[in-house]
Amino acid sequence: MSDLLRAPAEIKYAEELDWLESVDDGPKPFSWRLSPKMVRLFVLGSERADGLDREISQKWFGERSIVERAIVTLASDRGLLLIGDPGTGKSWLAELLAAAISRNSTLVVQGTAGTTEDHIKYAWNVSMVIAKGQSRESMIPSPIMTAMESGRIGRFEELTRSTSDVQDALISILSEKYISVPELDSDSDDSIVFAKPGFSVIATANSRDRGVNDLSSALKRRFNFVRIPVVTNKKSEADIVRFRTEELLRRHQIELDVPPTLLDVLLQSFADLRASAAAAGSDDEKLESALSTAEQIGVLEDSILHSNFFGERTLTARTLASSLVGSLARREPEDLAILNKYLHGVVEPRSKNEGGDWPEFLEGGRDAIATLS
Amino acid sequence: MTAAVQKSPGADFDALRTQLQDAAAEFADGPGALEGILLGLVDDVDRAAREPLEIFPVCHHSPASATAMARRLREKQPKVIYLELCEDMTPLLTELRNCRLPVAVQAFAAEVEGFPADWAPLSVVAPITEASAEYQAIAYALDTPGVELVLVDRSTDHVFQWRTREEAAEAPAAPDPDAPPAEEEAALHGDAVGVEIGDLRPRFAELEEHLLRHGGTRHWSEWWSLFVEQPLGEADVDHETYRQVMFLIGSLFRRLAPGNGARVEVDEERERYMWTRMRAHLAATGTDPDDCLYVCGAFHAASRVAEFGLHGSDTYEITPPSGSTWQYGLIPSSHSAIEAQFGLAAGSVSIAATQWAKNLKRTKVRPYRLAGQAGQAGTKKPAGSRAVAAVPDPEPADKLSGFLRRAPVVDSVDEAELLGWSVEIVRAARKAGYLASTADAIAVYETSILLAGMRERARPTPYDFQDAAVTCIEKDSVPGRRDVRRLVEIMMGGDRIGRVGYEALPPLARDVHDRLAPLGLNLEQRGVKRALLDLAGNPALRQCSDVLWMLRRLLPRGAARPIMGERALGEQSLQESWDLALGTHQRELIELGYEGVSLEQVLEQRLRRAAHDPQATTATVLAAVEEATLYLRSRRLADELGTRALEVLAAERTVDGAPDVLRRVRRLLAYYRTSEPSLPQWIESFVKTGYAHYCTLLPTAFTDEDATARQVAAMLGFLFSMEGLALSLGCDRTQLELAVAQSHPQEQSRTALLWAAQVHLGLLTRDELRSRCDALLANPLVLPAYPRYLSGLLHALEPVPHLVDFVVEAVSNAFARLPDRVLLPWLPTLITTLRADGADLAARLTREAGRVFPGRLAALDTWTPPWREQPVLIGQSAAPAAGRAALLTAHPATCDALAGLLGCEDPWGTGDLPSEGGAALLDRFPETAGAWEALLATA
Repeated sequence: MSDLLRAPAEIKYAEELDWLESVDDGPKPFSWRLSPKMVRLFVLGSERADGLDREISQKWFGERSIVERAIVTLASDRGLLLIGDPGTGKSWLAELLAAAISRNSTLVVQGTAGTTEDHIKYAWNVSMVIAKGQSRESMIPSPIMTAMESGRIGRFEELTRSTSDVQDALISILSEKYISVPELDSDSDDSIVFAKPGFSVIATANSRDRGVNDLSSALKRRFNFVRIPVVTNKKSEADIVRFRTEELLRRHQIELDVPPTLLDVLLQSFADLRASAAAAGSDDEKLESALSTAEQIGVLEDSILHSNFFGERTLTARTLASSLVGSLARREPEDLAILNKYLHGVVEPRSKNEGGDWPEFLEGGRDAIATLS
Repeated sequence: MTAAVQKSPGADFDALRTQLQDAAAEFADGPGALEGILLGLVDDVDRAAREPLEIFPVCHHSPASATAMARRLREKQPKVIYLELCEDMTPLLTELRNCRLPVAVQAFAAEVEGFPADWAPLSVVAPITEASAEYQAIAYALDTPGVELVLVDRSTDHVFQWRTREEAAEAPAAPDPDAPPAEEEAALHGDAVGVEIGDLRPRFAELEEHLLRHGGTRHWSEWWSLFVEQPLGEADVDHETYRQVMFLIGSLFRRLAPGNGARVEVDEERERYMWTRMRAHLAATGTDPDDCLYVCGAFHAASRVAEFGLHGSDTYEITPPSGSTWQYGLIPSSHSAIEAQFGLAAGSVSIAATQWAKNLKRTKVRPYRLAGQAGQAGTKKPAGSRAVAAVPDPEPADKLSGFLRRAPVVDSVDEAELLGWSVEIVRAARKAGYLASTADAIAVYETSILLAGMRERARPTPYDFQDAAVTCIEKDSVPGRRDVRRLVEIMMGGDRIGRVGYEALPPLARDVHDRLAPLGLNLEQRGVKRALLDLAGNPALRQCSDVLWMLRRLLPRGAARPIMGERALGEQSLQESWDLALGTHQRELIELGYEGVSLEQVLEQRLRRAAHDPQATTATVLAAVEEATLYLRSRRLADELGTRALEVLAAERTVDGAPDVLRRVRRLLAYYRTSEPSLPQWIESFVKTGYAHYCTLLPTAFTDEDATARQVAAMLGFLFSMEGLALSLGCDRTQLELAVAQSHPQEQSRTALLWAAQVHLGLLTRDELRSRCDALLANPLVLPAYPRYLSGLLHALEPVPHLVDFVVEAVSNAFARLPDRVLLPWLPTLITTLRADGADLAARLTREAGRVFPGRLAALDTWTPPWREQPVLIGQSAAPAAGRAALLTAHPATCDALAGLLGCEDPWGTGDLPSEGGAALLDRFPETAGAWEALLATA
């Protein structure tokens, strides 16, 4: 057990990666630590029929061809842009890929409205510049620059949150594969930082942010877009939620059982709410939340923590319902009204017809709404 | 007969058997289930390969099967071909030469007998594409003299007979859009019948998932194409190898997919059916089995039923068909329709077509093609009829071991092809609005190879290429109508839509095309055509116009849509313009052809059916009469249907359809009055019966809660407006007066209606009506109900149109005197009523209001409504009376002359007889008194 609150993938799965590297005999592009097939195996997990001596767990749940396209893009000349709704696992996939390919997933630039070109290229250590003048020594390289120098994968989170001119700093990095440093003597080798083979960029973008800072077509051209869809398949979604919850329980060192029936209740209620959001005519008629899988995990996490620390150390439908209401009710009165309608229109008949955990879920939901409104 | 028969059965496959036995022993910890399955597979292959009647296993839409078939046909030149297709579809196959493939053979039964009524209409389709083995067989058989093609599968009727069993066993599963296709197994047994809905999924899903995962493929079509299609499509795969591999696959899926019992039962039933039919045919014609070829799905080749084989048991009895009448025809089909019907991946049939073309080039096999096949541009007619010396049958030696052990054919990258694709897709993407450049073509090329490498193949499949193109070209939004995925599908062959040629059309459809020929449009082509008909300038076009109106009535919307011109009773258009899409709706037109030989016949049948429907109402029958007159101009049919309307009316006990009946009868009457010398007999009887009928129902309708004011108004309308005609035909007005007298409505709107009726009949004067309305407005207790009276009055405009000025007055009073709390809630009701029921009433009202109210705003201040002026006039009535007397004295001559004529001698009353004027008159004219006396005495 690592003593980090959240260990990056390469540390968390270090042992698995080491083992894969030891058995990997496939051709590896550039300086990749694993061959593309092994990267895929690491991300999607192994099966008995793969004929491996040990089992590799599945870490990202989704279509196989998405992962393949992503890996292949990284082996090509272009950057990879993962685009999709919030909570679809873009960043997680990016982290896994970076960890598998270059054993370092921490070379990350976070795109925000305040991101500047310095964050992408380099900055100066001012006191050192005053003391020693401008040199490579007094330069603070950005994570992307570090990735270039070491031939690794750099990551750019939420690319579309940063402004267009900042985004465009990536254009030359992705096409020329070097950064020139005009402050240094142009005759010396220091004035240009060249990328080593194996360098590439994985960016993520939120499709809900479209239109905020649109990518320029020059930049679009240098990225391959891989769209990550919202998981709607119930089985995969259950897998994801179970996987993440186990991880969570481990991280918090909580011993608590998540009854499968409650998981079903959670999945079903999200499926219902998504269906009603899809049928809604205006924004006021649907919840503000995107109702993604990540959101479900959030609800479950909240209820697990709640029942662990304040409850009776067992997860109940009542706690789950109050967490659901608590996490999804963001706007008053719109969201509360929708949840109220859902409880009375869908859950109530269901608890009458099906019983099980539903009556308790209904009860808990009602109480939570009563408290909030 | 081949020498192999003398060998001990199965000796050929002994080596393979031993090998598999050993393998099973090694991998499954001793002989057991695995061994059973593996050896069972070999047994199946052995048995099928050894069958004296040569079995040719095929897979649906498989180019490899088609290639192997073409090759085998050229070698063997069989005399009889047994084909797994519904046996009753045989006569249609010759029509294929008039069509552009893909088309589907359809069997259609509009009226069912022996099946649940809700199944109707029954329809079975068997699509036929060019890249299929069955088409090769059909083309060979039809174009080679002396070859007989025998369809042996169960008839379409049996498809439905057996469906009951299948359906009882399994509820149809909800379609899952992202599930991998389940129908492939079904398609493997060569089933062309489109009703194949059941599936083997539950037991089979794991196997399929396993195969897909380890094949690095996304869906079943890709797996099939990669692991079966391509190896079998190689030039060096001979006939026997092909057969044995297909037998093996059929057997594998059969043994690993027990599925549900009912489905397997139906499959086995079909096998019994086919073998029974084949043996019967062989016995009847005495054909040598060596000269025959049995083409069936690989699934059926691995059959273990007792009837299997030339020497199988002959105990199977074929059930007689049900009483349904089947019609047959060819309908156009398309690749995407086939994909959807059989659950194949999008684009897979198109890719198969491309693959077929490639196979032909590679293997140099000359395919068969029906001579004169329509729409085969650019293809030379193959010299198919040239007789080739028949090659003796090869011995069924074990070809399987070699094939299975053979290293996979490493297909090197076809650089030129891939480059071609990459450049092509970039060009297509640019056309579709994408910002794609040469750099993208390079990226697509590179990515395809990388993807294929990752999926463990050297040569990228079209699906790998598709993924690569999507990765490199698709950005965050789709600029045009089509996304990159679709563009690749189009590039790889695209959807092909078949067309049924003129000669293969049913008589009705041919007749339609013939009759529309004067329009000079190519209506067989897909798409919308605009037809302009100048009927005044070219009266010959009237016939086209008739056809078009009938098509509009019979075909779904969009097939024939009038842009200008309309057809109503007694009206004739001078010009018409139409949007015609008969090519697009070819299937519907063909299906119409199953109902009759001409449009008129079909329409007549439908009208008659509608009129004799047990649910038919008077209004619907009258509508049929109207349509018979309008579209068919058939007085005979109209009379027949009219008589039927009379019957229905007499049996009707409600007045629900009264408004409709009134509208239609009025229209028909108006039409007959203007266009015929005398009214048809039926309509006279109809009016008479209707008059009596509605008189009888009137008192009940006035009190019945279910009848609306509109219906009652329509009844009154019928009675009042037909009164003249009815009375002339012998009806009695007292009947109506009595009916009105018996009516005692409770509800306000109907009370108002009754008042209006009484005004019409002279039982109530307008002044009385006015004072009643005034009383309502003056009484605060009934004031809230006033709007309901008003709506009754509005409806009364229908039967009593001359009351319109009074209704305007009543409405104006309502606006003037009703308090807002009553008026405002009522206003929406007024508007909706006027809109829904009385578009013409509203027009009448506004016209009258326009007459009564001043035209200019300025005049409104000084304006007094006419009904307010009246009291003043009544107050002055004394003065005019005096004036009239003054006129008399001023011109005494007139009065004197009149008095003289009447025999009055002292008209001015000035003389001596003022008091006993009457008695004096008696004295002076005693004859009159005498005559009276005589009369009274005799009485």
